[in-house]
Amino acid sequence: MAKEKAHFWYTVNGRMLLAAWKRPEFKFGLFVFIFLLLLSIFLPMLSEVSATKIAVRDRFMPPVVMEGGSAKHLFGTDQLGRDLLLRSLIGLQNALLIGVLSVLGMFIVGAIVGIVSGYRGGWMDTILMRITDAQMSIPVVILAITILGVSRPTPYSVILVLVLAGWPTYARVIRSAALSESKKEYVRAAKIIGASNTRIMARHIAPNILPPVAFIGVLDIARMMIFEAIFGFIGIGIQPPTPTFGNILADGTKYLINAWWITVIPGLFLFAALLSLNFIGNALEKARNDVLGGHH
Amino acid sequence: MAFVLSFLLRRLSQGLVIILLVGFVIFSLLRIIPGDPVRMMVGPMASEEQVEEIAAELGLRDPMVVQFGRYLFQLSQGDLGKSFIKNKSGASSAGGRESQGLDNKANVLDLIISTVPFSLQLAGLGIAFALLFSIPLGIAAGLRPSGIIAKIAFAISSIFVSLPNIWLAILLILVISTNLQWLPAIGYKGFSYTILPAIILAVELSAVIVRALSSSVTAIMQESYVQAGVVRGLSMGHMIRHHVLRNSSIPMLNLFGAQLGGLLLGSMFVVEYIFNYPGLGLLTINAVFQRDFPVIQGVAIITTAVLVLINIIVDLISAGIDRRLQY
Repeated sequence: MAKEKAHFWYTVNGRMLLAAWKRPEFKFGLFVFIFLLLLSIFLPMLSEVSATKIAVRDRFMPPVVMEGGSAKHLFGTDQLGRDLLLRSLIGLQNALLIGVLSVLGMFIVGAIVGIVSGYRGGWMDTILMRITDAQMSIPVVILAITILGVSRPTPYSVILVLVLAGWPTYARVIRSAALSESKKEYVRAAKIIGASNTRIMARHIAPNILPPVAFIGVLDIARMMIFEAIFGFIGIGIQPPTPTFGNILADGTKYLINAWWITVIPGLFLFAALLSLNFIGNALEKARNDVLGGHH
Repeated sequence: MAFVLSFLLRRLSQGLVIILLVGFVIFSLLRIIPGDPVRMMVGPMASEEQVEEIAAELGLRDPMVVQFGRYLFQLSQGDLGKSFIKNKSGASSAGGRESQGLDNKANVLDLIISTVPFSLQLAGLGIAFALLFSIPLGIAAGLRPSGIIAKIAFAISSIFVSLPNIWLAILLILVISTNLQWLPAIGYKGFSYTILPAIILAVELSAVIVRALSSSVTAIMQESYVQAGVVRGLSMGHMIRHHVLRNSSIPMLNLFGAQLGGLLLGSMFVVEYIFNYPGLGLLTINAVFQRDFPVIQGVAIITTAVLVLINIIVDLISAGIDRRLQY
């Protein structure tokens, strides 16, 4: 086991991670992201201030650096006196949860469909290619707005809609990787010694082609977080009183002129999280291209 | 020419299948999901008999296949049906006495046609801003991939792609419209109302375009024919203008067809909603909230048709630029 671990950094996947780590934007992104992640997990747990309890006396309190601010609410309060730092952090929790789960969902569905159709070919391959062709012409946003708008939106339906919209792209990329992989020597060797198709797909092809695709998934997490915010803003995402970036921003716009911080502060947190994820994702993507030399 | 014809025939028939499929999905979705649109039309005060009467009149109690067949038949004659909610005068009346029945309701096609020019103006201006910004930046970054401009371009596109459009919109409204009062923001009373929403669209598009353009320019600069041209005494400027740009425009076109079409449409819907801009997106989002089925179906079918057409046109143009790409 120990020997295997030592060799990890010499595998293609290990070399990609090392190459990404050498990029300053990767370290910066990772640092900011982990900081925000820890903050959003632990601060709401440790703080005695509630993110949803209404305190009318404290409403419209500006951030601490401005006149009238208080150290109790570092980033100010909203129209109902709720702490904006905590609301932003819980919004970040929800956005991350939705982003990660939906990307995970499309990755899993896309991986299964993509590997099977790339390796086996046949009717499944034909159907998959037609579906992904069609998906390029389907206005996903209209589909999402329709599904979420006329049903009662829950976190699950939001994730479901995002997975529904996103999996064909993954299936397409993974299919073409599986197709070229299935012609390689080691797959033929595995076949000759009698490995089953399932075993070849799960134990040999998947570990080789999935990690580079997963790297790009990091960028998609950021995109899905924006979608979650948009849905919440329109009112078809996770419903209040649960704080999400979307519904905080939508509420804040009503008080934009007198209390701009209600919209600006949560947006800054979302922006920082997205920027860190994009830095990480871009560094991984570049590292992948450098290591694989553009063969994928 | 023969390949163009067979290509068109094949792609158009495929497109028709896609449009029918999308139409059917949206159609059945709207009928499976709970929530009676007739209740929205007549209001909470109407009796159960009235609801049933109007539902029967609209054919909403027939089997779904019958309804879809009827819809397709009307569609083939260019009729997208009538709105459940919106009146001909433009006012939307849910629950009023005069709102019962469909005689006074607006045609879905008319509603869509009346909003499309606004959306086209917004999308056109957004694309124009995006290209004006990202073509010079993308090319400059692509020509020197390790230079300072490339680093700036990378930073800009990272920031742009990380800016949530709803938040950026609110910030611009706050700073440019409310505080500085340079541009109007909410509603539409003239061309200037298009500029701010178009900037939001341009920011989203630029993030993608800059990166795609710079990496495709970089890749083409490494091709041997570029070196060969320079060796034969053609100036670098000539090579860039006549060969690099032409060849890097193909991936750009494909990007516009496959990716940016959907991206543009999606963000246009959101931006129109935020700015209360009277285009197709606002019409659709309002229709979803009011359960105005015919409008949602009509928009879904028309936008799908447009995306299908854009993809076909993009493939045709790229085949025109690079004759090797024959479909």
